[in-house]
Amino acid sequence: MAAPSKKVFEVFVSKIPWTLAGKEMKEYFVQFGPVKKCLLPFDKDTGFHKGFCWVGFTTEEGLNNALQKDPHTLEGAKLQVQKNRRQFEGPRSSKDAEYD
Amino acid sequence: MAALLRSARLLKCSPLGLLQISGTKRTGPPFRLLFSGPLGARGTGVCSRHISPVSGNASSRVWPYTAGCVRNYALATEQKDEPGVTMRSNQAQQFDWALAKLDSSVRRTGRITETQLTRIFQDICKTGYSSGNQALLLLRSCGSLLSEVPLEQRTELAHRVWEKLHELGAVYDVSHYNALLKVYLQNEFKFTPTDFLAKMDAANVQPNRVTYQRLIAAYCQNGDIEGASTILGFMKSKDLPITEAVFNSLVTGHAQAGDIESAKTILTVMKGAGIEPGPDTYVALLNAYAEKGDLDNLKKTIEAAESAECSLMDRDLMPVIFTLAKAGHQEHIPHMVERLRHERGYVPDAMNLCLSLITQGLEDTAFYILKNFPNLQSEDYKNEANLGNFFLRHCVNIDMSLEKICSFCKELQESKLHAAPISFTLSVALETKKTAIALALMKMLKELDLPIRPHYFWPLLIHHVKGKNIAGVVEVLIGMQDLKIEPDSETLSHYVFPAFADIEEARRILKDAGLSLAPEGFFNSKIRSLAVYNLAELHTLLSDPSCPATELSVFRGSLIFGFKKSSDVESMVKITELLSKDQRFSKEGTKASDTSSYFLYSFIDSMSEGEVHANEDKLRKYFSQLKDQNISVTLNIFRGIRNLLQSYEAQELIKDVVALVGRDGFGSDALRGTGAEGRVYALEKKLAKRKAENQPFGNILKQTIQSLVADENLVRALELKQEHEDEMVTPAYASLIGLCCRHDNVEEALNLKREMTRKDSSVKLDGTKYIALVQCLAKNDRIEEAVDFLKEMKEKEVVLNDKHITLFFHMLFSLATKGGAPTVQRLQDSMFTLGLVKPNSNLLSPLVSAYIESEDLSGALEAAIDCQKRYNHMPSIHRIVVALVEKGDTDLLQKAMDFVSQERGEMAMLYDLFFAFLQTGRYREARKIIETPGLRARAARIQWYAEKCINSNQIEPLEQMVDMTDKLFECDRDEMYSYLLRQYEATNEWKKAEGLWTKMQEENVIPRERTLLMLAKILKNNGQEVPFDVPETWYQEEAPPAKRAAPKVEEGPRSQGTSFQSPIIALCKNNKAQEALKICKEANDNGLAFNAIRYDYLIRSLLAEGSLNDAMAVKDIATSHLPTFQLSPAANDLYIITNSKKGQANDALERMRSLLQAGQTPSELAIIRLVQALGNSGNVSGIQEVQALISGHSKEVSLSSMIFVNNTAMAHIKSGDVDSAIEALEAIYTNPDTQSQSMAFVFRKILEDNNEKALDKLSAMAERIANHFACYRPASDLFVQLLDADKVEDAKFMLARINALAEQTDVLVSYMSQKSQIPGQLGKIKTLQSLIPDFADKDVVNTYVMKCHVTDKDFSSAKALYEEWQKSGGEIDELSLKRLAMMYRESGETVPFEEPPESFKFYADQLKERRTQSEKKAET
Repeated sequence: MAAPSKKVFEVFVSKIPWTLAGKEMKEYFVQFGPVKKCLLPFDKDTGFHKGFCWVGFTTEEGLNNALQKDPHTLEGAKLQVQKNRRQFEGPRSSKDAEYD
Repeated sequence: MAALLRSARLLKCSPLGLLQISGTKRTGPPFRLLFSGPLGARGTGVCSRHISPVSGNASSRVWPYTAGCVRNYALATEQKDEPGVTMRSNQAQQFDWALAKLDSSVRRTGRITETQLTRIFQDICKTGYSSGNQALLLLRSCGSLLSEVPLEQRTELAHRVWEKLHELGAVYDVSHYNALLKVYLQNEFKFTPTDFLAKMDAANVQPNRVTYQRLIAAYCQNGDIEGASTILGFMKSKDLPITEAVFNSLVTGHAQAGDIESAKTILTVMKGAGIEPGPDTYVALLNAYAEKGDLDNLKKTIEAAESAECSLMDRDLMPVIFTLAKAGHQEHIPHMVERLRHERGYVPDAMNLCLSLITQGLEDTAFYILKNFPNLQSEDYKNEANLGNFFLRHCVNIDMSLEKICSFCKELQESKLHAAPISFTLSVALETKKTAIALALMKMLKELDLPIRPHYFWPLLIHHVKGKNIAGVVEVLIGMQDLKIEPDSETLSHYVFPAFADIEEARRILKDAGLSLAPEGFFNSKIRSLAVYNLAELHTLLSDPSCPATELSVFRGSLIFGFKKSSDVESMVKITELLSKDQRFSKEGTKASDTSSYFLYSFIDSMSEGEVHANEDKLRKYFSQLKDQNISVTLNIFRGIRNLLQSYEAQELIKDVVALVGRDGFGSDALRGTGAEGRVYALEKKLAKRKAENQPFGNILKQTIQSLVADENLVRALELKQEHEDEMVTPAYASLIGLCCRHDNVEEALNLKREMTRKDSSVKLDGTKYIALVQCLAKNDRIEEAVDFLKEMKEKEVVLNDKHITLFFHMLFSLATKGGAPTVQRLQDSMFTLGLVKPNSNLLSPLVSAYIESEDLSGALEAAIDCQKRYNHMPSIHRIVVALVEKGDTDLLQKAMDFVSQERGEMAMLYDLFFAFLQTGRYREARKIIETPGLRARAARIQWYAEKCINSNQIEPLEQMVDMTDKLFECDRDEMYSYLLRQYEATNEWKKAEGLWTKMQEENVIPRERTLLMLAKILKNNGQEVPFDVPETWYQEEAPPAKRAAPKVEEGPRSQGTSFQSPIIALCKNNKAQEALKICKEANDNGLAFNAIRYDYLIRSLLAEGSLNDAMAVKDIATSHLPTFQLSPAANDLYIITNSKKGQANDALERMRSLLQAGQTPSELAIIRLVQALGNSGNVSGIQEVQALISGHSKEVSLSSMIFVNNTAMAHIKSGDVDSAIEALEAIYTNPDTQSQSMAFVFRKILEDNNEKALDKLSAMAERIANHFACYRPASDLFVQLLDADKVEDAKFMLARINALAEQTDVLVSYMSQKSQIPGQLGKIKTLQSLIPDFADKDVVNTYVMKCHVTDKDFSSAKALYEEWQKSGGEIDELSLKRLAMMYRESGETVPFEEPPESFKFYADQLKERRTQSEKKAET
C-alpha cells in the first residue's frame, strides 16, 4: 500500500543555540540520511527561534543513525536529539501495524 | 524566602537582635561617656535638624496620598481598561506565587530584576486590593536586591509602590514603615528621621524597637551622632533594649563623622555592656577603614575578628570590597578577594556584587570579581563554558561603551571562561534592539571568521516591521549589505516586505536605497502574499505553465493561513487539485497526490477546535467538492485527520473525509471502533456482574454472615456456617476468620482456615486476614505457625498494598511492647526475606522500640546498624541518640554518630545530633552544631522536628531551634516563625506571639498570609488589638464552595479598631457598612468627596450585606462627584449576585449583558447565581442568552455545562413544561460522553418545592434511563436526594426496583463525604448504611463517620468509634487518627496513641491516593 512513503521518521532536537537556523540543522542532519523536512519554529514576537526543532527523515535508517550518535555537537553546542513522540496524536491502534 | 532573607544580610544592618540588654542601667554610663550632652535634656521634643538639604522635597514625595482625588480617580479609570480584571484571584495564592518567584530569582541570581518586580506590582494592582504582606514583599524588594537599578530609581520605585498600594486600600502598619526605612538605608536615600516619625504619628502607627534602630542607622550613615543619640534617648525613655544592631550603627556613625578612633572604642563599650561584637560590627569597622583605604587596619581588624572567633563570611566581606571600589582604592581589592572562601551561596551573592558595581560605573572591579569566580564547569564542558552571561547582559543593558564591551568579550574568550561571549552579547543586543551594538558585534564576528546568518537580523527587523518603520528596515538591510549578507527569501517575506504596503513599493524603495535583491525572493514573496490575501489570483499564477517550480513548503504556511480565512471554497478546491496533480509543487521524489494529502492534514491540524466548528459548513463544502474532483487521501492521512477531528469533537465531518479515501487504500475495518471500544467493554463487564447475582442462595448467605460479622456476632455466624456448609464461599470464610482473630480465638480461626483450604486448596485469603492470623498467632506465642502463614502468603502470591504495610507495622508495634525483640526480629526477618513487603524505616522501628523499652541501648543501636546494613534503612535513630545523650554514654554515642556519618553523610549526622541536643535541653551544644560552617537548611528535617515539638507541646526546644537557625543557610524563616506561632496558639501565649512579630521585622522576614492570620487569631482570642491589617475575607463569603471549604479554620478575625487612615475602608472591613454609609452621606451633605476606591469599597460592603438600594445610592453619590465613576469588577459581581439572590434576575441579566459586551468577564459565581435565578423564574431564553454570551469567554470561565442544563430544566419545570425539561435531560444521559454528569440539583429543587408532578415524571425518566441505557447517574442522584430529604421509604422502594443503585459507590461515597462536612448529618449516613450495608468499604465509612463526629464536636462518640474500629480489625487511617488526636487535645486529654506526625493535608492526600489505587486494582 501507499502507506510507507507517508510515514515520517522524526527526531525532536532541542537546546539549539540561537545562532543556528533551519538551514544549518538540515545541513547537519543530512549526514545521517535523507532529510524530508526540518521544522524550526521562530517566535513572531522576538524574531528568535524557540530552541527546538523537528527533523524528519525519509527512512528509518536515517532516524536510527541520528539517534545512535551521541553527543551531537554543532558549532560547539551540544544538541539534544530524541525520538519524536508527538506525531499523529490519538489512539494508534495496533491495526496500523498491518499497513506499515 | 530563605534567599530573600539571606541577602538582607549583605546590608549594613544586622538582623541579629537576640542578644538584648534590658533596662538602661547597664548601658547608661558608657553612653554618657560617649555622647556629649545630657541624654534626657533633649527629651522627646522634635528634632528639626535635617540630614540632608533635599529631604524637604523628598519627604513630600513619600507621602503623596495627601494629594487630591483627581489623581486617584485617574487611577480608577486606568484600571477599568484592563480586560478581565477581577478580584477573585486568591490573594494568598498570588502572594505565595510572587514570593516563590522572587525568592527563586534571588537564590539563583542574587537579585530581582526590575521587570520581575514591576510585573508582580502590576498584577497586584490589577486585582484592585493588596494585602499587607504583598505590600511588604514589594517594598522589601526595592532595595539592594535590585542591583541592576540605580539607587535613586529604586527609591522612586519604592515610593511608587507605597503610593499606589495605599490608594488601593492597603493599610500600613509598623512593619511597612520599617521595611521602607530599610529600603532608604540600602539605597542611601536622604530623608529626615523626625519627619518620618511625625508621619507615622499622623497615621497613628506606633514606632517600635526596629523603627528606632533603623532611624539610628540612618543618622549614622551620615555621621550624625547627635541625631542618633536623640533617637537613643527615645528608646531609653521607652525602656526598649539596646541591641547589637544599634552599636553597629554607632560604629558607622563615628567613622562617618571622621572619628575612627571613637568607632573602634564602641567595640570595647559593647563588651562592657555584655554584648560581644558580631560579624556585622566588624564589617562596620572594616567599611570605615575601606573608605580610607587603610589596608593595614583592614587586615588587623579581620585578624581581630578571627581571634574573637567571629568568622567573617564571604558575604560579610563583599560590602567591604564594594566600599573600597567606590572610594577609589581598587589597588587593595585583590587583598580582600583572596580572602573569599567561595562558600555555599557565594555565586549569587557575588553576582549581586558585580551587578551593583556595574550599575555604579565600577565595571572594572566587577570584571575582576567575575574572573575570580570559582570554576564551576567540569573539564568535559570546557567548550560550553559560559561564565559571565549575566555580566555581559547588564553591560549591554546600561549602554556601556562598545570598546569596553568588546574588551570584556575578548578577555573572556581568551581566558576560556566563556566559549562564545560575542555571540551571547550579540543575542542580548538583538533582544534589546540595540542595532548599533549588534552591528558592531557582528563585525567582530566577521573579523574572527565566524559565520553571520540572515536570521541574526530578524529580531531587529521584526521590531521595525511591527511598527511599519520603513526607515528602520532599510537601515538594517544596509547593515546587512555592509556585512555582505544576502537576505534570503524568508527574511524578505516575513521580516522585510510586511513593512511595506505591497511588493512593488518594497522593490522601489529598496532599489532607491541602493539595495540589490535577488528576484527569486520577490517571486516567493508574491506567492506567499497572494496565498494569504487572494486565492483566486494565486491559482491563476500557479496554474500558468510559465510559473517556475516552487515547492509547497515555500508557501505552505501562508496557504494554510489563507485557507483558514478565505471563504472562496472554489479556489481552495482548485488549488488543492493543482497541488495533487502538478509535480512542480512537490519535492523531488514525492508524489503530488501525497503532497496534497499531507497538506490537507496540516490544514486541519493548524485549526483549533473552535475554528473547526466555526468553519464546519465551509469544510464540508470543501471536502465534498474535493470528492467531486476525484481528489483522494491515503488511509494513513485519513486516520490522522480522523483523530484530529475526534479530538475536536467534530465527528460529523469525519464521514465527509471518509469519502475521500481512495478505493485502494480502504481496509474493511478501518472505520470500526471510532472511540467506542471502552464502552462496549464496560457494558460486558457489568452484565457478567449481574449474572453472578442470579445465584440467590450463596450470595445472600455471604451477605448475612458478613452482616453478622459486622455486628460482632460470632456465635450466630458460626451456626449459619454449620447449617449451610456446602454453600459457603470464600468471602464468607474470610469474614469469619477475621472475626475470630479479633476475638483472639486462634483455634476457631485455624479450623475455619483448614476447612476453607479443604474445599479448594487454591483459594487464598486477602492480605488483611492473613495479617490478622499472623498477629493472633504471634500474640499467643505460636511464632512458627505465624511464620508458616507468612510463607503461605508468599506462595499464594497474596497482593499487598500500602494498607497492609500499615497493618504489618501495627502488628509489629503491638508485639514490640509485649513480646520483646526476638519475636519482632523473627517476624520481621521472615517478612523481608520472603519479599512480602519492602523494608522501610517505619516497619523497622518496632524492633528498635522493643530494645529501648527494655533499656538495652546497645542492642537498639546494633539493631539499627544491622537494619542499615541489611536494608539500607536506619530506624528510630533519633530516639536512640536522645537516649544515649541522656544517659551520657559517649562511647556508644560516638559509635552511633560515626555510623550515621558514614552511611548518611556528615550533614545528616549533624542534624541528628542537633535534634538530640535540643530534645535533651543541651542548647549550647545544639547551637555549636547548627553553626557548623557549610551546614545548610534541610527543610524536611527541620519540619519533622518542629512538628514533633508542636505535637508533644515542647515549647522550649522549638523556641531554641528557631532562634539558633537565624543564620542557617537557606532557612525559610517565615516557616520557622509559623511553627512557633502554631505552638503559641495551642498554648495561648499572645505576648510571645506579639514579640515574634517585632523579631520578624528586625529579621526582615515577610510573613506569609497564613502566618499573619495565625498571629491575628492569637491576639484576637486574647482580646488584643491586632497591630496590622488582616488579609480580608469578607467578600469571600460568597466564594465558591470549593474555595470556602479549605480556609475555614483560618477564618481571619477582623481587626478591631484599626481605623488608621481611611475610616470608610476600616469600617467596611469590620462589617460596619451602615456606619460607613452614614459617614459617606454626611460627607456628601457637606459637599465632600472621597476617591473612587473608597466609594467602591463601600458599595461592595453594602452589596455583600444585601443592601442593594443603599449601594445604588452610594453609586449615585459617587457619580455626582466623579462623572465617569464605574463599579469595579468585584462590585459588579456582587451586584449580579445580590440581585440574583433577591429574585431580580432581569436586573442582574442586564448588568451581565453590558459587562460582557464591554469585554469584561464576571466571576463564575456571579454567572452561577444568575443562571440559578433565571431558572427559578422560569426564564429559559435568559439562560440560553447567558450561555451564548459567555461561550466566547471559555478561557476565563470554566463552568460545568450542567449548570446550564440543570437550570434550563428547572426553568422549564417552573413554567410548567416538565416534558421539555425531560427532553433536555434525556439528551444528556443518552450521550455517552455526558452520562456521568450530575442532575442532583434538579431533584433537590423539585423536592424542596414539593412538586409531585415533576417528581413523578422525572423519576420515571431516571428509571427509564437506568433500565434502557444502563446509565444510573440520574437514578442514583434521585436516590441520594430522597435520602437527604428524609424520604426513606421512597428511597427504599427505588432501591428495590433498581438493584444496581447499591453499586453506585462513587455517588454514594460522595454523598457521604458531603454530609460529613455539615454538623448534625450523621443520621443520614446511618440511614444510607441501613439501606445498603456494604455500599462502601467499612474503613471508608468509618473515616467519614469519624469526620462527622469531628464536625459535630462529639468526642465521646468519636472515642467509641475508635474502639469499635479497633475491635473490627479494620485499618484505621492516619487521617482519622489525626482527627481523633485533635479532639483529645481540644478536650485537654492526653492522646492514648502515637499521633501521626505529618499534617492533615498530607494524610488526606495520602488516603485519597491510596483509595483510588485500590479502586483501580479492584477494576482490573
